[in-house]
Amino acid sequence: MAASRSDDRLPPLVWAALLTAAALMVAPLVWTLLLSLKSNAELVGNSGAALGGPYTLENYGAIFGNSSTMRWLLNSAIVSLGTTAGVLVLASLAGYGFARLDFPFRRSLFVLVLLGLAIPSQAVILPQHQLFATLGLHNSYPGLILPGLIGPFGVFFMTQYMRAIPKELDEAAMLDGASRFTIFWRVILPLTIPAQSTLAVFTFLGSWNDYWWPLISATRSDMYTLTVGLAASQMNYAQTSGLGFLMAQAVFASIPIFIVYIIFQKQIVRAMAGAALK
Amino acid sequence: MTSAERRWQGLLFVAPFLLLYLLILIYPLLRGLWLSLYQVDLFGGGTFVGLANYARLAADPVFGQSLINTFLVTLMIVPLLTVVALALALALNRATRSAAILRGVFFSSAVLSVTIVTLIWRFILAPDAGLLGELWTALGREPLPFLSAPNLVLPALAMTTIWWSVGFPMLLFLAGLQQIPQDMYEAAALDRASKWTTFWRVTLPSLRRTTILVVMLQTAAQLQIFGQSQLLTAGGPSGASRTAVLFLFETAFGRWELGYASAAAEILFLIILAVTLTQYMLTGRVRAGEDGR
Amino acid sequence: MMRLLLAVLAALALGSCAQADDKTHIYLQRFFGECGAEYGGKTDVSKAEGECGIVTALVNKFNAENPDVQVDVNVIAWPGYPQLTAQMAARDPPDLVAMHTGVMADYAAKGLLEPVGSYLSQAGISPGAFTPAGRDGVSIKGQAYGLPWDTHGGLYHVNTLLFRQAGLIRGGEPILPTSPEEFLAHARQFRERTGKPYLIQSLVGDPAGAARTLYTYMMAQGAPIFPAPNRLRVNTPEGRKVADFFRQLTAEGLGTSNMDTPAAIAAFMSGEGGIYPTGTWMIGQFQQESVTPGRPLHNAYAVYPYPRLWGEHVEYVGGHAWAVPTRERTAKQREAIARFFRFMAAHNYDWARTGHLPALAAVLASERFRALPQRANIAPLGSIGRALPGTVQRQSAVEGIVGEEMSAAITGQKSSARALADADRRVNEFLAELQ
Repeated sequence: MAASRSDDRLPPLVWAALLTAAALMVAPLVWTLLLSLKSNAELVGNSGAALGGPYTLENYGAIFGNSSTMRWLLNSAIVSLGTTAGVLVLASLAGYGFARLDFPFRRSLFVLVLLGLAIPSQAVILPQHQLFATLGLHNSYPGLILPGLIGPFGVFFMTQYMRAIPKELDEAAMLDGASRFTIFWRVILPLTIPAQSTLAVFTFLGSWNDYWWPLISATRSDMYTLTVGLAASQMNYAQTSGLGFLMAQAVFASIPIFIVYIIFQKQIVRAMAGAALK
Repeated sequence: MTSAERRWQGLLFVAPFLLLYLLILIYPLLRGLWLSLYQVDLFGGGTFVGLANYARLAADPVFGQSLINTFLVTLMIVPLLTVVALALALALNRATRSAAILRGVFFSSAVLSVTIVTLIWRFILAPDAGLLGELWTALGREPLPFLSAPNLVLPALAMTTIWWSVGFPMLLFLAGLQQIPQDMYEAAALDRASKWTTFWRVTLPSLRRTTILVVMLQTAAQLQIFGQSQLLTAGGPSGASRTAVLFLFETAFGRWELGYASAAAEILFLIILAVTLTQYMLTGRVRAGEDGR
Repeated sequence: MMRLLLAVLAALALGSCAQADDKTHIYLQRFFGECGAEYGGKTDVSKAEGECGIVTALVNKFNAENPDVQVDVNVIAWPGYPQLTAQMAARDPPDLVAMHTGVMADYAAKGLLEPVGSYLSQAGISPGAFTPAGRDGVSIKGQAYGLPWDTHGGLYHVNTLLFRQAGLIRGGEPILPTSPEEFLAHARQFRERTGKPYLIQSLVGDPAGAARTLYTYMMAQGAPIFPAPNRLRVNTPEGRKVADFFRQLTAEGLGTSNMDTPAAIAAFMSGEGGIYPTGTWMIGQFQQESVTPGRPLHNAYAVYPYPRLWGEHVEYVGGHAWAVPTRERTAKQREAIARFFRFMAAHNYDWARTGHLPALAAVLASERFRALPQRANIAPLGSIGRALPGTVQRQSAVEGIVGEEMSAAITGQKSSARALADADRRVNEFLAELQ
C-alpha cells in the first residue's frame, strides 16, 4: 500500500502504545484459542487451567464428528454467497441509477433508501416473518437470502463510489452509440471492482454472522445455518461443563470469515476509498 | 428512443432493488406502524386502541430507562471509537510489514459474531472467573463487578463493543488517508509547517467526510445495540443495561405484545431517523459546498 | 457465477427432500442439545448419559421398536420458544414438542395446543399415574395439555466438607436451618469458621433463581402469588419478609452478590461456599465431581430440597412435558403419538437419571430410582412441589421481571418494598393487556 509518509518512523512512545493496544486486542482471542484446545473436564470450575498444557484437538474432532455441522457449514456458505451475489447485483444497478442517471423522483427515492439505515431490524422482523409465512418462504434458501438483499448500505456505498467516476466516460460512450446498460456493464462496472470486493466482504461477513433471522426462519435443522446450528447444539449450562467445546465452535465458526479477510485484505483497504471519497 | 423514455430509464436500474426494498422493508415497517395502533398479540384478532400504546410507552419507566441507557452507551462508544479508530489509522498508514500485521490484528475481532464476542468477554469481565478479575486479584485489589454494578455495566458494554467494532472505522480512515493528495503534504512541508500544524490543517480537514460517515454509521448502529446487552447481562442489574432494542425484543418475543412492541419500534425508528437525518443534512451541506455538482 | 449458484441451489433443494416411504412420520422438536456425533445410532438407553444422550437414545430406540413409524427430530436452541412461536405463526408447528410446563398456558389459551386426554387414554396412561407436581404442571382448567415427563425445581446443593469445618454436621448429614433465625446463625457461624460465604447466589443475568426463592417462600407462608390469573401480588408483608431476609444475608456478606450462573457453578465446584441453591439439572455434574478424587467436591457433596423457613414445607417447581401443537393430522399419526406417549412414560426412569424427578408416581417410589445417588434426599420434591396456577399466562416473562426486581432487592440496589412494588406494577400492567 502507498503510505503517505513512509519515510518517517514512529516515535517509540507511539510504538509502545500501539503494541499495548495490540496486546489488549489479541489477548481475548488467544484466551479463546487456548480454551478451545483444552479438554472440557479440565476446565470444569477452573478456566485458568487453559494457561498450561496438555492441549488437545478433541474438541475440534467432536465438531467434525457431528455430521450436521458440515450441512450447516454448507447452508451458511450458500446463504452468505447467495446474499453477497444478490447484493452486488442489486446495489450496482441501483448505485449506477442513483449516481449517474437522472430520472423523476431520484432524490426522494434516494432519501427513501437512506431511511432504511435508520430502521432497526428488530422493528420489522415480526411483520417480515408474517410476510414470509404468507409467501411460504420459511425453511428455504430464498427465505434466508432475501432479507439480506435489502440493506441500504450497499446502495449508498455504490452510489457514492460511482459518483466519483468522471461523467466524461459516459458521455464519450454515448457518442459511440452505446446503450445505458452497455455503458453500465462495459464501462462503469469494471471500474468498480475494488468497491465490489469491499461490499462483498461486508455483506458476506454480515450474512455469515446473522443470527436472528435464520433463528426464526430456518426452523428445521437441515436448513440451519452454522450460527443457529451451533447455538442449538450448545447444551444448557454448557459454559461450565463444555467450555472447551464451546470455544472450539467459536473458533471454528470464525475461521472461514477470517480467511476471507486475509485473502481480500488489500482490496478492502484500497476500496474503502469508495466510501470515504472526498 | 425519445428523451422522455431516456428519462425513465434510470428508474429501471433502481427498480429491482426498490421493489424488494419496498416489499421486505418498507411494507413491514408500515405494517408495524399499523400494528402499533392495535392491542394485538402474535396470534390474535386485535382491538384498535388508537394511540393508547404510545401513551402507555410514555408512562412506562422501563422503556424510559432503556432509552436513556441506549443514549448513554451510544455516547460512550461513538466518540471514543472514532478517536481510537482514527489514531490507529494514523499510526498504521504506512507500507511496512509490521503495520500490515497490526492492521490485521485490529481488524480481527470484527469477524466474530456477537454470540462469540459476548462469550469471550464474559470470561474477561466476570469478577469471579474473568481475566480482568484475575489480574485485579493478582494486584491485591477487589475485582470490579463489571456485570453486576449498575454504574459499571454500561461502560462494560461500551468496552466490549469498542473492542468488537474498531476494525471497520479504522479501515475507513485508512482509506480516507490514502486519498489525501501527496502534494498537499509537500506544500505543507515547504511552508515548514510542524507535524501538528500539518495534522490540523491538512490531514484532519481532508478526513472530514470520512469522519462524518464513521460517526453516522456508528451512531445508527449503536442506537440499535442489542446482542451485547441481551447476552452479556440480560439487561441487568435491575434494568441498568437494558437497551431500547432489548426492550423491544422482550416485549415482542417474551410477552407477545405485538402492538406495544411495534409502538416502541416506531419511537426508536423516529429517534434514529432524526439523528441520521440531522447528520445526513450536515454531510449534504458539506458536499454542496465542496463539489457544487 | 449466478448460474453456478442456481445449479447448486437446485441440487440442494432436490437433495433435501425427504425420501418417500410408507412410514408414518412424526416431527418432534426439542432442546436438550445435539449429540448425534456420540449417540447417533445408539439404542441402548441404559448406556446413555446426560439429558442429550438419554433423549437421543430414547428416540432411536422408539424408532427401532416401531418400524412403521419414523420420528424426525429437530433440535433447537434452549429454550426455543421464539422459534416455536414463529413456527406456529407460520402455521407449521411440529407434532410433538418438549416444553416447560410454565409456558403451556400461553399456547393453550390461544388454542395452539391440543388437549392430550385422548392420547393418554389411548396409550393406557391414567391421570392418577402421575405425581401431584407432574399432573398439576400440565393441567389447565381441568384438562391435560401434555405428557408430564419430569419435575425440576430448586435444590440446596451442599458442600459437606465446609459444613463439617463449620460444625454444621450431625450424624453424617449437614444441618440445614429450619427458621430464618437459625439460617442467619448458621450462616454467621459458617462464615466465621471457614471464612467463606454460606450461600453462593447467582444474581447476575439469572432472574430465575431469585424468582424461585421468592415464589417458594411466599407459597410456604400461604400467600397467594396470583390472586387472579392476570394479577401478581408480591409486595405483601410475606413477600417483603422473604426479600428483607435475603437482603440482610447478602449485606452481611454471608451470600455472594456478583456472580452469574457459570461463575456460581464454578465457585461451588471449587469449594468457595457452603450452599449453592440451583436446580435438579446440576446433580449429575456435581455428583460426578464428588466421585472424582482430587476435586474440591470429592466426597463432599449432598443435595436437599429448599429448607422450610416459614410456614409450610412446600417448593415452587416446574417440569418438562411433551405437548402436541394443534394441526391437521392423520389417524395414523395420532396413533403414533399415543404410542410415543406410552413409550416415553414407560422409560420415565431412564430420564430421571438426568437428575430431574420422574413425573410418574410409580417411578418416584421405585427402589431403583431411590438407589440412584442423592435421589432419596430429593424425592420429597415430588410431593412438596407446587406449580403456579395453570391459568397464569406468560410465566417466563413474569419470572424474568419478578427475578430482576427480587435480585435488585437482594443486592440492595432497591429497597425491598420498592422492588416488589415495581414487580407488581410491571407484571400487572402487561398481564392486563392480555386478550
